Formats: sequence, structure tokens, C-alpha cells
Amino acid sequence: MAFIPDFFGQALNGLAYGVLLFLLSVGLTLIFGMLDIVNLAHGSYYMLGAYAGLTLIAVTGNFWLALLVAPVAVALVGAAVERTCLRPLYRRGPLDQVLLTFGLIYVFEDLVKWIWSGRIRSIPTPALFSSSVTVLGATIPSYRLFVIVFGLAMAVALWALIEKTRLGAIIRAGVFDSEMTAGMGINIDRVFTGVFAFGAGLAGLSGVIAGPIQSASPPMGASILVPALIVVVVGGLGSLKGSLVGSLIIGQAETFGKVWLPGASMLMIYVVMALILLFRPQGLFGRALK
Amino acid sequence: MTTARVVGFAALVAIVAAFPLFAGTYPVKLLQEILIWGIFAMSLDLLMGYAGMVSFGHSAFFGIGGYIAALALVKSPGLVSALLLPALAAAVGALVIGFFSIRVSGVYFIMLTLAFSQMFYAVTFQAAWLGAEDGLVGVPRPSVFGWDAASPRVFHAYLLVLVVLSVLFLWRIVRSPFGHVLRGIHDNEGRMQAVGYPVNRYKLLAFVIGGTVAGVAGSLYCQFVGSISPDAFLWTTSGEALLMVIIGGTGTLGGSMLGAAAFILLQSMVSSYTERWMLILGLTFVFLVLFAPGGILGALRGRVGIHS
Amino acid sequence: MGEVTRRTFLAAASAAAAGAATGPWVLRAQAQSTEPIKVGVVLPYTGVYAELGVSITQGMKLVFARENDRVAGRKILMIQEDDEMKPPVGIRKMEKLIDSDKVDILTGPVHSGILMGMRDKVHSSKTILIVSNAGADAISRERCSRWIFRASFSNWQPNFPMGTWVAKNVSKEAYIAAPNYQAGKDQLGAFKESFEAAGGKIIGEDYPKLGETDYAPYLTKIKQSGAKLVYVFFSGTDAVNFVKQYDQFGLKKTTKLTGAGFLTEPDVLPAQGQSALGIITGHFYSPLLDNPTNKKFVKDFRAQYGGKVPDGFACQGYDTAEVIIRSLRAVNGNTQDKDKWVDAIAKVEFDSPRGRFRFDPKTHNVIQPFIYIRKVEETALGLNNVPFDKVANVTDPGTGCTLPA
Repeated sequence: MAFIPDFFGQALNGLAYGVLLFLLSVGLTLIFGMLDIVNLAHGSYYMLGAYAGLTLIAVTGNFWLALLVAPVAVALVGAAVERTCLRPLYRRGPLDQVLLTFGLIYVFEDLVKWIWSGRIRSIPTPALFSSSVTVLGATIPSYRLFVIVFGLAMAVALWALIEKTRLGAIIRAGVFDSEMTAGMGINIDRVFTGVFAFGAGLAGLSGVIAGPIQSASPPMGASILVPALIVVVVGGLGSLKGSLVGSLIIGQAETFGKVWLPGASMLMIYVVMALILLFRPQGLFGRALK
Repeated sequence: MTTARVVGFAALVAIVAAFPLFAGTYPVKLLQEILIWGIFAMSLDLLMGYAGMVSFGHSAFFGIGGYIAALALVKSPGLVSALLLPALAAAVGALVIGFFSIRVSGVYFIMLTLAFSQMFYAVTFQAAWLGAEDGLVGVPRPSVFGWDAASPRVFHAYLLVLVVLSVLFLWRIVRSPFGHVLRGIHDNEGRMQAVGYPVNRYKLLAFVIGGTVAGVAGSLYCQFVGSISPDAFLWTTSGEALLMVIIGGTGTLGGSMLGAAAFILLQSMVSSYTERWMLILGLTFVFLVLFAPGGILGALRGRVGIHS
Repeated sequence: MGEVTRRTFLAAASAAAAGAATGPWVLRAQAQSTEPIKVGVVLPYTGVYAELGVSITQGMKLVFARENDRVAGRKILMIQEDDEMKPPVGIRKMEKLIDSDKVDILTGPVHSGILMGMRDKVHSSKTILIVSNAGADAISRERCSRWIFRASFSNWQPNFPMGTWVAKNVSKEAYIAAPNYQAGKDQLGAFKESFEAAGGKIIGEDYPKLGETDYAPYLTKIKQSGAKLVYVFFSGTDAVNFVKQYDQFGLKKTTKLTGAGFLTEPDVLPAQGQSALGIITGHFYSPLLDNPTNKKFVKDFRAQYGGKVPDGFACQGYDTAEVIIRSLRAVNGNTQDKDKWVDAIAKVEFDSPRGRFRFDPKTHNVIQPFIYIRKVEETALGLNNVPFDKVANVTDPGTGCTLPA
């Protein structure tokens, strides 16, 4: 009978990890889906969020304030980057944008190191969620339960924003046919900047959310990119639904992989990716390829 | 090739060949490292500049070449181990990865190739028989037609010959009808397809050729350092090759060698003077992409400005 | 002219010849005696482990500054190179130091992979290397070399005494974990050896991937096993992630967390914060050690470096520099005769902040005067590792090392 709480405990772990992956990757998939840009510096915005968060907490002592303000700060940085570096490149096609964002990885990593030093830092667990709880016989940190609830709520909110609001409609229209949308009097430049900033802000938000669980150090921007990219590729570039489903699948696969196939933990995420892409090269919910 | 170009190339080769005669051990080693990375970057330029395929997984073939060379040279230090086996292994690797990756294009291609090379990283990192995270050390240099490449002079000559052969080979490919078709595909894939070219097959062939040359570069790197580690497979290694191609000028072949020189000199020298070399490198790259997308060679030819 | 006998001629000729032969030597010795002694340093100054590189360098500089950067009448010149924790870069920098800068002695690195990559070139070029961190057991075992000394530790040393101590003082059943790479396996291997010899039983063993960010599955397994004792080796970001998540899972209430000292060293302790309280680790150093050399070391270090409290890595740097200074004094600054210098290094003995420092002639590895058992507590210096027990004279077994090699 111990199998059920044991199994359930690991399934909860997998869910929490999957939701974290979702929060991490959703900004990347949105920016691609809306703007056709692969933002390789995505991990850097995640990192900036974590660092902004820990500075805000050091100054104000309030985790929730940091959770609110840090993503906004990161969004502003994203907006600045889009206006100065990316906008000139829209005419030139996706390759140059990819390459530019790659160069930005180096820039951000060194800037963070310069400002905050290379020491390992960390965001302390908020007092409200610093204990562990037992659910159906399985122990899970209450913070991870918070992450699950928050992440799923975020998924619903994003879906509603994009599908059900006027703002979402404008964005979708602007991406589908920018000339027409501009012709209707909508400032398309501002829409693009806004979307990019929003995506960066989402990345920053996930940096703060993941903060209490993980540590922060300057190389984290480059290293967090690979799991995010894989989730997005598996789910389908540009698909919000794909991002959620893909990250939940990978979350469970990785978690149970660590329990049942310990030697393979480094490879698990690639195996999942390879399997899914073998049968659906565009990802689970990606646009069908020509 | 114009006479001027031939003379210029020959002069360059002569200078490189004579370099050990008037420079110290360390500068010669820097030069050799530049040559090896230059071949790697050139093979990537074949894909990027001519076939229009941006791959972040090119390091997979570099690593395969390096590991196969390490395993083979320890058993039998000859040219077969040093060149033939690594090239073959890299070609096979490129065929397999290419088969899966070329089905998709653009951004998907970038991400898929990236993921593949990371997969190799994970596998070699875990594999105890491949030295795990430390990789393989103590790799001997081969004996080349009776000469022992362990001798610095022999190695320099051996390396130079291979570099020249690789350059000429890639040059030939790019100038051939095959190369023209590649460029046509880069310019307008739809049109080429409509005219009847089996576009994917051409792309796959380019991918395999590029991958094979990258494998040779990886094998040379392993012989140069005497060891190989999983880091060779990192997507950031591909990224660095990409940087070299861009810095020198995409689609120029020779630019990649220039880019390799610029990158390695920057990395070695700047890091001795300032801790901020990563920032400098990143900003240099950002500025290049924005203002000089043709790289150094492009700038020399007048392609400067935002809307090039 | 006629009176110049053959003997006189021969005497004069041989005198001239002797003068010609030894002249350059004398001149070089004189020139050498004014040339600076070049100390090559291969350490990470960028990347996550840069803090270690900085600490080690600070320890070295403290000693050299105390000696006014001179020994035996010659100036000491440190040439530092950043290896970025990457073997290809580390090897390239080492070659620059040996071939281009022509250093007299080499120190470093942090990364065991770089050390193993360096080993052959150091050995064949007869360059003396004082290892100031990397703990790969192999360097004191089958890959030992006459020219390589280690002033830091071998991976075996902090863990072997812990096995016996933990079995006696905490529990005879342990769940163990370390990252899935050679150093991790070495460290746990040493622990297992002594733990099981002392009657202990390993009830669970996990090797998460290096750089793991989510330890939840492993922590759940530990919880479900009912273990009362956990022994681990983690360092850097792994140590921070593991300790924080361990605390979040509420495991501190049910299971004692112990490990090799790197789990709670000052490079990770601030990020771990309160989650680290009560963790017991084994290490050859703590800034709270109560001996006069350490008290002076801590005082001087803090005065020199803006109040920063030294850690084990700084102590390693300190000891490395002391070894260099004392051995050079013993050979009067003669860096040309490498054999004499190596013999002098092997005989070096002095009071280090960690206790009485000496090398094991069998392996050239430092004999740890003590491995201290420490607990993380709030102190006047902030969160720190407070020693409360110790094991004396911990010597690496050196299996497979035959010196001179």
C-alpha cells in the first residue's frame, strides 16, 4: 500500500517541476508565436528576474513585492532591447535576430557578474510557504503546491488574454497581417515591443518563482535555455497549449526517470524530445510544416 | 581564380608555414589553434553562407571526430585513425542527424540541431568508457608517412597541408554546380523545388559534407591538444563557431578563418588584460550583426550599415 | 717567451677554459639571482567557481605580501591565468605559462579535469606543480609524479574519517548521494569504505546528474526510506540547491544531514542561509579553529580583504605559497636545480592555519593534520562551520603510487 503515496508523491513532484518548466518556456513560445523571433537570450531574462528579485527582497524583505516588481523591471529591459537591437533587424529575417540574441547572452552574463559578482546567490523561501505539507500520505513542500496553483492559474490567464480579449485580438491581428493592422490605425511597432517585453517579463517572473527552489549564478542564463528550448520544440513553437502539455509530460518523464532509471537522468529530456519529434516533427501542437 | 588571388593565397600559406621559424612556441600554438577552428568555422559557413542552414548542432560532428580520433589513435597512431575514421564517423553522424533535422527548416532546424549536439554531450558526459566528464587524455599524434607528428615541425607541416586541402576542397565545392544549386536553394527554395531539384537531398548532402569536414577539424583538435572532452559537444561550442563565421563574413569561406583568428585572439589576449572579455565579445558581436552583417570581409568590401 | 713551460701553458689554458665554461654559469647564476621567480597560477576567475579561484589567490597573496614579494633575494612574480573551468582553456593557459612565460613553478587548478589534462605535460616537462585545489584521487595514486605536490586535499581525505565518525555518533544506517561524476563517486567511495567497516549499512544510494536543479524525486525517496542519516557530497550550485530543497521537504526534522565539507563552505553558505543550520560536515579547515596560526591568519586576511572571512580555499592558497617560500629558502633561491628544489619541497614542514603541515613522501599529497567535524551555527562571524570534534593525521592511502615516477 505504500506504493500509492510513494507514487503520488513523485507524481506531485513531477507536476511541480512540469509547471516550473511551463512558466520558464511560455515566454519563449509566445515571442516566437507572435513575433517569429527565437530569443536565445530568453534564459538571460529569466536570470535577470532572479537577480532583480533577490535584490528587491534584500531591500524590502518582501517576496511578494519582488514577485510583482521584478518581472516589470525585466520587461522594461526587454522593451529596451527590442527597440534598439531587434527592430532594425525585422527587415533582415529571423537568422540575424537569432544571432543577435545569442550575442546578448554573453553581454547579460557578464553584466550580471559585474553588478552582482559571481557568488552563488539565492532567493529565500517566503515565510508563508516555508514548511512542508502532507497530501494523501505524500510530503511536499507547501511552496511547490503554491507553484502548481500559480502556474496553472497563469496558464488560464494567458489563454484568456490571448483568445478572449481585445488586446489579444490586436496582437494576433498584428502578427497575422501587420500592414493591415497598421492601416487600421494601430501602432504596430508598439504592439511588437509590448509583446516582446511581455515575453521577457514572463521569463523574469519564472526566475523569481523558481528562486526559492534553485540558486542563482551568472552562467544560469545559458544553461536554462536548453530545457526551455526543448519544451518549446516538443510542444510546438508558438503554441501555448503545446508549452503546457509538453512541459507537464517532460516534468513527469524526468521525475519518474530519476526514480526508475537513475543512470539516464541527463538523457531523459532528449529521449522524450526525440520520441515526440520522430512522429510529429512540428511538435505536439505546432503549426504543420509545409 | 584570379592570379592575384592565387598569389595571395600562396603567400599566406608560405607565411604560415614559416611561422615557427621566427615565432615562439606559444604564438605558434595559437596559430595552429586558429587554423583548426578556422576549418571548423568554414565547414559551418558552407551550411550557413551557401545553403542557408543555420545549425547550432555543428559541434556534434566536431566532437564525434575528436572522440573517434582519440579512441583510434590510442590503438593505432596512423593516418587511418587520425583522418579516415573520424571523417567517416562524422559523415555517418551527419547523415543520421541530417535525416531528422532537414525535414524541418528555419527555427525548428536551429533548435533540433542544438538539441542533438546537447544529446551527445549528455551521452559522453555519462559514459565511463569515454572518460565521462573528463573525457579522454593521453592521445598520441599519428605517424604520417614515416614521420612522427609528435615532433612540432612535422605537426605544423601536417596540419598546414590538411588545412590547405580542406580549404581547396570547400572552395571547389562552393564553385561547383552543386554549390550553385545550394545558393539557389538559399535564395529561393520554393523556386528551386518548382524547377524540379530534390531540394532536401541537396541540403542533406551539404550537411554531410560540412559535417565531415567538421569531424576532421575535431580530430585535428584532439591531436593538437592530446585530449578531448564532452565540452566539444556543447551547443555553445557551435555558437562560438557561428560567431567566427559571422565575424569574418558569412558566405565567404575565407572570412571564417579570419573570424576564427579574431575570436581566439580576443579570447586569449583580452582575458589576460580584463575580466570583462565576455562583455566585450558579446557587444562586438551585437554591433557586428547590427552594423556590419557582412563581417570583416563584408566591411572591407563596403557592406556596412543597418540595411545591408 | 721561452720560459713558458708546457705546464704553465696547460695551466693557463685550463684556467681559461674553466673560466669560459663556468663564466656563463656564473653570469647566469648572477643574472638568475636577480631575475624574478615566476609563479604560474591556473585558476578559474570567471564562472561559478571563480569565488574559489579568488579565495585561493587571496591566500597566496597574503603570504607573498608578508614576505614583501621576495625570497632569497629574488622578487616573486605571480602570473595568473583564467582557465574558465574548461579543460581546453586550462591546458592552453598552462602551455602559455610553461612555454611562453617560462614559469619556474606552477600552481592550481580548481577543476580535476584540468589537472588530469595537465598532468602529462607537467610530468614530461619536469615543471613543478603545487596543486592548490583539485582533489582527484588519481594524482596521489596511479598518476602521481615526482614533480607534482598537492597542498589542498585528496577527495578521499575529508570522507574516510567521516564514515567512522558518523557510524559511531549518528547512526549505523545511511542514505548517501553525490553528483554523477568521478569526484562524486570517489568521495562517496571513501565514505562507504570506512562506514561499512565500522558496522554501518547503506540503505540507499543516488547519483543525481551534475548541475541538477530539481532534487525532489531523490528527497522524496529519502523521506520514504525512513532514513535517519543522510551523507552527501555536493559543491557549488548543487550544494545550494540540495540543501535548500532538503529543508523545504521538512527532512531536517526527521533526518540528520551530514557530508563532506564542501557542502557548507563559505562559497555556498550565504545562499543556503538558515537551511544550512545544524548540518555536520568533515573538512580540514574552519575559520574558527583555535590555534595561534589560524587566529593570525583570520585576522590578517580580514584586514587585507575588507573583512572577508577566509575559507578552506584561502587556506589552501596560503599553504601553497608557504610551501613555495620555504622550499625556495631551503635552496637559496636556486630554481635551476629542479631535483634539489623538489627534495626541498618534499621536506617542507610548517605551522599552517589547519595545523602542522607536511607532505607524505610516498604520494606528495598533504597529510591532513586533522579532519575537523564541524556543525553549521550562527556565530559572531555570521553563519559558519563550528568545529567540535576531530580526527588526527589523515593520510591518503596512495594505492598504486610509486615515487620517484
